[in-house]
Amino acid sequence: MLRLALRSVLASKLRFVLTSGAVMIGVAFVVTAFVTADSLRATFDQLASDINTGSDFTVRGEAAFGEITDVVAPPVPAEILDDIRAVDGVDIAEGGLFVPGVIPQDGEGTPVFSRNGPTAGSNWTTDETLSQFFLVDGRWPVGIDEFALGASTYSSNAFVIGNEYEVATPTGTRTFTLTGTMQFGFPEDASVGAVFSLFDTATAQTVLGLADQFTQISVRAETGTDLEALRARIEAVLPSGTEVISAEESVEEFSDALGGIISTFQTVLLVFAFVVLFVSAFIISNAFNIVLGQRVRELSLLRAIGATPRQVLRSVLAEAVFVGVVAVVVGLGLGMLGALGLRELFAALDLSLPDGPLPLKPRTVAWAAAVGIGFTIVAAMVPAVKAARLSPVAGLSEDFGSASTKIQPWRVLLGAVLLAGGLILTLGGLFWSFEGAAARLWSLGAGSATVFVAVSVLSPLIAGHAVSVLARPLKRLFGIAGNLAGLNAARNPRRTAATAIALTIGLALVSLVSIMGASFKATFHESLRSSVNADFVVTSQDFAGLPGTVASDLRATGVGSVVAFAGDLALVQRFVVTEDTTLVDAHEVFFNAVNVDDLPDVANLDIESGSLDDFDSSTSLLIHNDVAEDLELTLGDEVPMTFVSGDTVELTVAAIYSNSAFWGNWLIDQSLHERFATSSLDDAVAIKVSGTDLESARERLESALADYPATDLDDRSEFQEDLESNLNTLLILINVFLLFALVVALVGIVNTLTLSVFERTREIGLLRSVGMSRVQLRRMIRWEAATVALYGALVGVALGTGFGIALVTAIPDDIIGQLDVPVLQMVLFVAIATIMGLLAALLPSLRAGRMNVLDAISSN
Amino acid sequence: MTYAVDVEVAARAVAASKIYGSGDTEVRALDAIDVEFASGGFTAIMGPSGSGKSTLMHCMAGLDTVTSGQVIIGDTDLSALSEKDLTLLRRDSVGFIFQAFNLVPTLTAMENITLPMDLAGRSGDREWIGEVVNTTGLADRIAHRPNELSGGQQQRVAVARALASKPKIIFADEPTGNVDSNTAAEILGFMRSAVTDMGQTIVMVTHDPVAASYADRVVFLVDGRIIDELADPTPQGIRDRMTRHGA
Repeated sequence: MLRLALRSVLASKLRFVLTSGAVMIGVAFVVTAFVTADSLRATFDQLASDINTGSDFTVRGEAAFGEITDVVAPPVPAEILDDIRAVDGVDIAEGGLFVPGVIPQDGEGTPVFSRNGPTAGSNWTTDETLSQFFLVDGRWPVGIDEFALGASTYSSNAFVIGNEYEVATPTGTRTFTLTGTMQFGFPEDASVGAVFSLFDTATAQTVLGLADQFTQISVRAETGTDLEALRARIEAVLPSGTEVISAEESVEEFSDALGGIISTFQTVLLVFAFVVLFVSAFIISNAFNIVLGQRVRELSLLRAIGATPRQVLRSVLAEAVFVGVVAVVVGLGLGMLGALGLRELFAALDLSLPDGPLPLKPRTVAWAAAVGIGFTIVAAMVPAVKAARLSPVAGLSEDFGSASTKIQPWRVLLGAVLLAGGLILTLGGLFWSFEGAAARLWSLGAGSATVFVAVSVLSPLIAGHAVSVLARPLKRLFGIAGNLAGLNAARNPRRTAATAIALTIGLALVSLVSIMGASFKATFHESLRSSVNADFVVTSQDFAGLPGTVASDLRATGVGSVVAFAGDLALVQRFVVTEDTTLVDAHEVFFNAVNVDDLPDVANLDIESGSLDDFDSSTSLLIHNDVAEDLELTLGDEVPMTFVSGDTVELTVAAIYSNSAFWGNWLIDQSLHERFATSSLDDAVAIKVSGTDLESARERLESALADYPATDLDDRSEFQEDLESNLNTLLILINVFLLFALVVALVGIVNTLTLSVFERTREIGLLRSVGMSRVQLRRMIRWEAATVALYGALVGVALGTGFGIALVTAIPDDIIGQLDVPVLQMVLFVAIATIMGLLAALLPSLRAGRMNVLDAISSN
Repeated sequence: MTYAVDVEVAARAVAASKIYGSGDTEVRALDAIDVEFASGGFTAIMGPSGSGKSTLMHCMAGLDTVTSGQVIIGDTDLSALSEKDLTLLRRDSVGFIFQAFNLVPTLTAMENITLPMDLAGRSGDREWIGEVVNTTGLADRIAHRPNELSGGQQQRVAVARALASKPKIIFADEPTGNVDSNTAAEILGFMRSAVTDMGQTIVMVTHDPVAASYADRVVFLVDGRIIDELADPTPQGIRDRMTRHGA
């Protein structure tokens, strides 16, 4: 029986290629997800351990809360360096500085910065393994007017050692002579997209604005020292607000921080992989159904000569396993290529993934095998059971092979139950009251998924009629060929539904994403319109932020109000008083520090209660009414706020505002923040022009910004465009991934059509003999495919639109508050899907056209 | 030729040969056949299996091409036609009736009847089609799909389809091979009346002497050659000839 299964697989190579091709793409996706994530992990783990090889301990300022990757730890006083050096067992200790936002300009005056890594200033140390900065060319900079650059930055931009260059620093733009190049880490350069400008320690302290301070102190122990004991001895000499971490802890911290991001990335890719696999399961199931339908005679003959149902079942499943195994093997190869392709894709979108090795771990292979073979077997199970149940005389009856079009009561019942359940959950998600948005979204998600399954169960019941209606214009357009195309598409509703569902899933997701994207843009547009009064916004092109001097220099132009925004984290404590205890409820919140006096000029807050007149810069706080509701805060409440530095101040709610959360949920005055801030960078500067026209204001602002490379001056519409272009990149990325689901759907149409054409060989022979031309025949097959595709696409777009609208409604208004259905885009999706259907028919229609009429008529 | 020149010829073959393979494996399915089918005649082609009777019909009908010689329908020499022109010829000048699977299952009986004209994008002669439908006796079942019709009814629809476009000639390949004798009589009677009453031209391949006896003329084929003819045949007369030729 096994040999028979293999024979039957090999008998039709095309069918085999198409069937396993559908799974292959899904498997390849799984492999790409794991391999890419593993590659990232390997790269960053290596990096983390490399850069920590030279030191045993790092001493740094202690953040009051939060992950070290989210907050900027406060600097430590320089004088503790001598105390540490004096500790018994310390071989060497050096102070280090690391401040982002240091941007050199090359010989052509182009600012050199990175979007993928830090663009930072630091200091070199004599012991290169301690700092991990290794001199490559020239010499180390000494004194206030010298600097060095990373070798990769040097070689890929217009720099010459010995020349003078301008470098933007937190203390303003200064001119330095380039004395040499260096690399971070050895032997491999581990700077991964970073741009480093290096100074000697004293210069770094001056230009980075950290006089008598270090951001960290690296310590190496004398050989043979007990590290645990040494750690205790170091801790003993440190003032409060500082901490000691070992090299291992430091590696772990780094890996953990990136590990979270990488795992999320992996999960997202896997979600897409499963979408593709889910789609391919329908296609495999359909292919097996059709093929077994065609082999009824053979299978019933086997039963007649003594094969047990179990043997038939096994032979069909063996076939499925074989298809799955081949799909897995090829899918592994494709997945590796996919990982390379993903790098190219990211590079094309101006993002980048590091060029590390691509490790194929046993876990990846195991997953690929499990999903590839598993999905194939599950998909083949129903057809296999059906085949096993065949009676030995099934092949003798006239009507074999043609699927019954009877309405199955179980299908109606199951579909109706699922649909009702799904709708209840979906509508419930919209209208029930929930604790928080997450539960609402869960209900909605579960409801939508259930509706989806219901539609796939019910689809065969409506596919016939729906397709007939859709195909109506074909008769008028293409006469009898069009008429036959529609009739063929409608003749086996179950097959049509199963073929179309793949496209339905793909298009539902694509439409959902496009509605979300459009609504998000509309929301942003609306909040920009209603809550921003500013005429211009200045932002930084790298992610570091703007030096504090940007705001003061812009203010000096006198074009109007200039308000800087500096975002930071704080810990807010709420005292929850119950009957017998008082609990402290701490929330980590993101706040903006602004000049509150000028805030109304650039922002429209819609103060709901309280007033800005009562605002005291050192004791007052402004909150959004969402926060007020969530934390049960009212006007005049006292809120203790702890900054990253560890300082806590008691703030009083001076006003509650209700406009969109464009300006954040928490606002304090910048003068208060400056007292405790661990970083002097601003996120954005908003400008409201007064007393001059926008054109001349712009000119003055631009000339003020000439000293600050890598800054963007945007008017309102440019600001909107900037943010939209980021969103567009994300949407493109998602759509590229979903494209794979659509490609699988396309393979499904090719598959079904090839098999249908094969099944209708005699009918095609008859049509040809009574005068159907090749052109008409091909047209008939093409438009059958297009009709099926159109049906799948319409159902998909309808479902996607429904889910999209529901989702937008359920998502809190401060994230997506405006609904926008991009109708034109939807129409375009449907048109593309229909064209895909026409393309899918290319091969089957060519084959049909090439059939010899006589052979076709006399075939059995 | 035995027919007078004033009889119009619907189709003829001149020294038509069909050779499969070459060298040792060469098979002469048709061996320089000369035959004419007069307009308004009902001809049966008989012969043992492998005698070339189906090949002759396929070549005459433009479904297959001859290796050498000529096949002419009306005034058209088929050997000069492209695949596309052959398709047009089949659509406009030739009618077909097959042994089984004559009808497109997705189309109604009426749509099947008008299929060749629909493919040509023409409405056809409505009056004539109405007459043909009436003659089939299926006027009340004309909107049904083939699977709702009996085997005999399906074959009558097939004959009606062949008649509907008023082709120069109709080829029938064992049209009663798949039905019982009562149904066969019903179909053959209908074909006979199509020739007698409606002036159509039919060439039918069969191995059944009773079926062949409905024709005006029987042509006997053996080894790709015409070895005998019989006019106004009876079943017994046909059986005698078949015995004589060892078929």
